[in-house]
Amino acid sequence: MIRRPIFTLITAAAVVFLFFPIIVVVGVGLSAGTVLTFPPDGLSLRWFAEAIAYEPFRSALWTSVVVAVLATVLALLVGVPATYAIHRRSPRGRHVLQLLFLSPLIVPELVLGFALFQLFMVDAGLDALTALVAGHAVLLLPYTVRVTGASLQQADPALEDAAAGLGAGPLTTFFRVTVPVIAPGVVAATMLSLLTSFNNVPLSLMLTSRRVETLPVAMLEYVQTSFTPMIAAVSTLLLLLTIGVALLTERLVGFQKVFGRSAT
Amino acid sequence: MRRGLVTGALLLPAAVLVVVGFLYPYVTMLVAPAADPDPDVPGSLAAAITDPYVVDIVARTARVAGITTLASLLFGFPVAWAISRAAPSRRALLLIAVTFPLLLSTVIRTFAWIVLLGGEGLISRALQAVGLAAGPVQLLYTETAMVLGLTQLFMPLLVLTAYSSLAAVDPALEEAARGMGARNSAVFARVVFPLALPGTAVGAILVFAGCVTAFTTPSLLGGTRNRTLATLLYQEANTSVDWSGVSAIAIIMTAIVLVVGVVMSRVSAIGSTR
Repeated sequence: MIRRPIFTLITAAAVVFLFFPIIVVVGVGLSAGTVLTFPPDGLSLRWFAEAIAYEPFRSALWTSVVVAVLATVLALLVGVPATYAIHRRSPRGRHVLQLLFLSPLIVPELVLGFALFQLFMVDAGLDALTALVAGHAVLLLPYTVRVTGASLQQADPALEDAAAGLGAGPLTTFFRVTVPVIAPGVVAATMLSLLTSFNNVPLSLMLTSRRVETLPVAMLEYVQTSFTPMIAAVSTLLLLLTIGVALLTERLVGFQKVFGRSAT
Repeated sequence: MRRGLVTGALLLPAAVLVVVGFLYPYVTMLVAPAADPDPDVPGSLAAAITDPYVVDIVARTARVAGITTLASLLFGFPVAWAISRAAPSRRALLLIAVTFPLLLSTVIRTFAWIVLLGGEGLISRALQAVGLAAGPVQLLYTETAMVLGLTQLFMPLLVLTAYSSLAAVDPALEEAARGMGARNSAVFARVVFPLALPGTAVGAILVFAGCVTAFTTPSLLGGTRNRTLATLLYQEANTSVDWSGVSAIAIIMTAIVLVVGVVMSRVSAIGSTR
């Protein structure tokens, strides 16, 4: 509208800036050579084959999936009832409670990771997998509370009163009115939680042991010591997986639910 | 009475998780230097704050975070405005384009810069090809590399928050200002920017705090010579037997993030009352 060409240019430059590195990763992953260079020297799938066969990444992938699923389930199990209580049962001090549940977000994750390392692994003697699941659940709780809360906030509480007024019992009201209202938020929170846990580095870094590592931590260690295109091949596979999750989310609830409303 | 019990039961598990998994361990760690029984251990907070090595790292962390925040503002705000004024179909596409990188691991998003910024990388070769550099330019393991990587990482946060405030600005306000004779620059400075300031300030907090606490990008692009507070903390936690020193760094990091958060929320409050 105003000085439009300049804004179009900046927007185009920003999109290139955001996506070019991703294109570089895919290009390097498809390289036929042995050094990290872009454009790649020749195309092949050899690094994909090597990445899939690389045992440390295979076991780290398994750890990451287990941690992401268990931590997401745990965060939803404690977070969704709490969010429901805050928005529908107006407990005393609801603002303080809301702040409490969001508070893990405001501190540096690496510092939280160190604190949890001391408490869970050194003092309590928990194994790395348990510590990872518990730590990730703490990290995911704020996302669950925020995204599920956004769904509840948008729906009129009078819907539940109306159902009750029309003769529905508390259970009927809950399953026929509240659950459909909250479901899109829970689906969006699940997707966001799975990705957040799966991608996490700082917290995982502090809570891993020599034998139990998550995939991003294993990748980080690999990048620091080895300079081969294999890491780009793994990254490309993860990129495809992320596109899949994003498309699935778009289908189920709309992509914007995950970030759009929670960003405000 | 029963209603109160049910509400409490719904809230209790989440409260327990936050207290046991966040508040208790975090506070315990923060007070560790103060409660340190061994006076010979040099890792206290006072020692850390006056140590030139740590001061240097604090300054670098703040510098890199500040420049990245500025770059994200200069780049991200016009993008947010362009998106908010784009046609609906293109707007949705652009929002997805800006959001999607946030779903990828920081390792993946940082890795490309290792390839691009090395002495034999694309950027070094391009600079030589156009005659801006005589020999290979090693940009990797510099603060410039960190700023580039962090801007790519965090700019989307600023775009999204600025966008949500800009989208809430009624276009009729701009037209009214123009109808009363305001020039484009005045419309921007007196109408659009003040209205979008609160959201943009929130975005800037997120970017700055993200930079101060980021680990992957500084450790991969800054190398061992350009330590930041986060990479220092990790190194100390791994190599040192004296954890009160780690706690001291943790206190500094937490303080920076909290102070910046408070200052910026004041700024955004001023913006919204004007």
